[in-house]
Amino acid sequence: MYTDKIVLITGSSRGVGYIIGKYFLDNNAIVIGLSRGASSIDNRNYFHYEVDLAQPDAITRVFKIIAKEHKRIDIVINNAAVLTSQYSMIMPLKNAIDMVQVDFLAVFLVARESAKLMRKNTYGRIINISSMAVSLEPIGDSLYAACKAGITTLANVMAKEYASMHITCNTVAITAIETDMLKQHSPSARTKIKDIINNLPVPRMAEADDILNVIEFFASERSSYITAQTIYLGGIN
Amino acid sequence: MNKNEIHDIVISKVVSLVDTLPEDKKFSVDQNTTLFGNGSSIDSLSLVSIIVDLETTFSAEYGLDISLTDDKAMMREKSPFESIKSLAEYISELVNDK
Repeated sequence: MYTDKIVLITGSSRGVGYIIGKYFLDNNAIVIGLSRGASSIDNRNYFHYEVDLAQPDAITRVFKIIAKEHKRIDIVINNAAVLTSQYSMIMPLKNAIDMVQVDFLAVFLVARESAKLMRKNTYGRIINISSMAVSLEPIGDSLYAACKAGITTLANVMAKEYASMHITCNTVAITAIETDMLKQHSPSARTKIKDIINNLPVPRMAEADDILNVIEFFASERSSYITAQTIYLGGIN
Repeated sequence: MNKNEIHDIVISKVVSLVDTLPEDKKFSVDQNTTLFGNGSSIDSLSLVSIIVDLETTFSAEYGLDISLTDDKAMMREKSPFESIKSLAEYISELVNDK
């Protein structure tokens, strides 16, 4: 389905990013993965770059290497995110800064550096992974939800800026999915997530295919007329 | 890198842009071609495209990381983007400062 397409995914070494990476590889894409840690995908069509997305200069540097080694990018999945769920008054400053840098600024930088490469081919799909937290606004997620709301706005404005280059920008706001990352949450955080899930219109966790279905839709060549859109999973709006 | 080389690079980027325009939007390119403000032949997104092309070219082909849109450029009384000539002169300054 994606033969010859080059897909860049941030946060590709685990969780949702890993699932999305495997999906594109299984469908014949060439996948460029960015994450802080080492590669967890072994595939001849997978190219991994270790980069700390909290460092803007590191992002610019890695894109220079990508431009030299791969020449172009067709699809970008802005997936990487960090989350500290904590009451705003006691949120550690470092965690707050990390969230702004990874969940918001890095999304901006990855999207724009990708767009610079996409414009040469006048083709591109930029897909931001957002969260149910934008709509549900749960206690403790003030900054995380604000950053995720921000990337929707980023996508919508970039959609206008890049439309003439046939680059679309869309957002999928996902619900919680059973991944290793989720298992790392504290018992109280897991209870909180379960309570939220139980109150969704479709009261279950997301499955990989729920997310991939929307990614496939936004990434499709047929979706050239679909831009500046946000799709929420699980019945949230 | 001398001024003439820089001037030629700027011209080539604008010509590349003109090549992508529909016939009725094409315009002739010389050093006085206006890029920004009254009388400009291109829209703001096209100017952005030229700026990105130039920054990318100077970085990738000459190892010169220049930013054409930082405060230094924006705070100038006379915009470097008024014409091809003024843009080439501004890039020349940046390159010589490196």
